[in-house]
Amino acid sequence: MIQNELLSKIKNGGQAELGLIYEEYRLEFIQWIMKEYHCSIDDSKDIYQVTILIFYDNVRQGKLERLVSSVKTYLYGIGKNIALETIRKQNKNTPIDQEKWFKEFLIDETEITLEEDKAQAVKNALLKLGEPCRQLIELFYYERKTMEDIATQLDYKNAETAKNQKCKCMARLRKIVEREFTKLTTAISHEQQ
Amino acid sequence: MNNSEYDIRLIEKFVDNEISEEELTIVNKRLLTDTDFKLLYLQEKTIIEGIRLQGLQKDLLYLKDIEKSISAKKQTPNRFRWYYAAAASLICALGVWVYQSTSQSPEKLYLAYFKPYVSIEATTRSNINPTERTVAFQAYEQGDYKLAATLFKSLLAENKEPGILLLLGNANLMLDNTTEAKNNFITLYTEFDDYDIQAKWYLGLCYLKSGDVEKARTIWKELGETEISYAIKAKELLKKVD
Repeated sequence: MIQNELLSKIKNGGQAELGLIYEEYRLEFIQWIMKEYHCSIDDSKDIYQVTILIFYDNVRQGKLERLVSSVKTYLYGIGKNIALETIRKQNKNTPIDQEKWFKEFLIDETEITLEEDKAQAVKNALLKLGEPCRQLIELFYYERKTMEDIATQLDYKNAETAKNQKCKCMARLRKIVEREFTKLTTAISHEQQ
Repeated sequence: MNNSEYDIRLIEKFVDNEISEEELTIVNKRLLTDTDFKLLYLQEKTIIEGIRLQGLQKDLLYLKDIEKSISAKKQTPNRFRWYYAAAASLICALGVWVYQSTSQSPEKLYLAYFKPYVSIEATTRSNINPTERTVAFQAYEQGDYKLAATLFKSLLAENKEPGILLLLGNANLMLDNTTEAKNNFITLYTEFDDYDIQAKWYLGLCYLKSGDVEKARTIWKELGETEISYAIKAKELLKKVD
């Protein structure tokens, strides 16, 4: 696949494209990480999954408009860091903590440390938010779709309508999150008593 | 719009990159001086980070499902594991015999080195009401390669078993269907993990049979670098075609 074609596939695509890219580099990457860093097959697969998702997210967030090297080199660069850190910090018998890697990656991006309980509170709030708000918000903040794309996908009249809807959904989400955070604070204070 | 709503809207525009120059100056200043404003901003970032973490977790589950399906596709039933041992002993016996061969032409080398892969599955099964599978293995064992090939194809259409694909390739070689055999071994080598060495060995023989010595040589070079029984034979063949 041509590099730019691949970047555009990621930007415009969804999970199906993610699956295709995952399979495209899978075998070579896993063999490389096993050979180079003596990782087990399971650890190598875990590292590959985190690597692909970080790469995918970087493209979608617009951090990778153009590749100065090949996709393979880029993936190997991410994978190398994860493998080295894993070797340095973790016991060989401990599985790779994939969530920890996602959190570290997100901290680099947002400079905010997302605590475990707060992450869970947002997760609960998203579930309570319901459809189509949850999908709209995920499309905008996670998949980084444009308002035009969201309007098409969710059948809104136009981008402006989608944008207004997104603002309303975020307002509702903030309220639910606040309630979840309050519950959290109450629970903590009960535990401390 | 009250102050709080105005502040939230301002922060939302800021994190969504929709802010004007003038508003940006206000936000940057208030983030440094206004504690409540800063808290609102941090809460907004926390929510967005939570949304993104949730997205990554969802996609991770999706990749894990893909991985499971890839691994399941490549899983080989245990009953085929013995093939490795059978192959190794066959190749050792074949080696002694071939070592005495002095012929150098591709066709003669092929005849000297090719022996169909041994299957003993049929002999371990009951002959009362034999299944299609039993008949296929019996046919292969008894040298009825035409029937065996037909039945193997039918079995493969139901379930892609690498062990059967290996035997189908051998049956095709015996029937002089070299191109089809070649395709069987390429599929075996590219889509499955369990018979890579055997697939390469027989694929090399397919190339030799069809006179494509260069391709055969490339494969034997790879096999010659391994530390398995096929390596010795591959090195021998390399010398003989050079």
